[in-house]
Amino acid sequence: MAINTSLIGKEYPPFVVTVERGKIKEFARAIGDLNPFYLDDRLGQASEWGDIIAPPTFATTFRDETADTTVVLRELGTDISRVLHGEQEFELARPIQPGHTYVCRTRILDIYEKTGRSGRMAFVVRETAITDRQSEIVGTMRHITVIRL
Amino acid sequence: MKYASVYFEDVKVGDEIPSLVKGPIEQIQLTRYAGASGDFNPIHQDDEFARAAGMGGVFAHGMLSMGFVAQAVTDWAGAGRVRKVGVRFAALVRLKDVVTCRGRVVGTSQKDGVNLVELDIWAENGKGEKVVTGKATVALPSRE
Repeated sequence: MAINTSLIGKEYPPFVVTVERGKIKEFARAIGDLNPFYLDDRLGQASEWGDIIAPPTFATTFRDETADTTVVLRELGTDISRVLHGEQEFELARPIQPGHTYVCRTRILDIYEKTGRSGRMAFVVRETAITDRQSEIVGTMRHITVIRL
Repeated sequence: MKYASVYFEDVKVGDEIPSLVKGPIEQIQLTRYAGASGDFNPIHQDDEFARAAGMGGVFAHGMLSMGFVAQAVTDWAGAGRVRKVGVRFAALVRLKDVVTCRGRVVGTSQKDGVNLVELDIWAENGKGEKVVTGKATVALPSRE
């Protein structure tokens, strides 16, 4: 199968996330990261951020059924059993915090093929820009999905 | 003082951050991470599915390993100091694997009044194979 590169440049509909306090704590605990700045409300309130903050990789929880991996894979004519996570990057202007609302805009930057040790693979490069309600940039996620062809 | 922040003036190129040992990886942690992250790919939960997909069995979410290396960075630099963290997933992490996360300072700079420290970061399994490699940038406070 040849990978469909016509999706390069595609922008998905923006989606809005309001971060729940409990979600941050659940995420930190799932990693086993018990840093009190993620878990202790009182410490957070007394901190420079005025509340608890999220771990650096927390924005991976920002998902929406109109723009998630399943949708992209369907459009590419493949499925989740063929997929590996290749690379991931987070750039953060400031930490994600509970009660805040963020707008996420995902687009496909590139799609290309390579042949590696384990055969032909396609790479899908996506970027999600995260802004606050004042349209100020809070962070950017870059995600490379590897599809075993 | 496990969660004390380090000061910019005390950091120099070549410094290694304290290593962080995570695991052994158990299925329940992958299930918990699926719920917390929203990544319900059955390849991390269902051994039969993972075998049928040609992966030889269940393996951990790459993002969980990334969470581990990010923790190694924040345990050293302090929570909320990470400006950038990026990794490549180099090898699969399996059940029972112990993952050791490490980092080394490769650069320091000051830009617009912000003290930046760049690190190479990586994680190894019990055989010493790198499972994650990448870079992180943290903004550190100055001694006053």
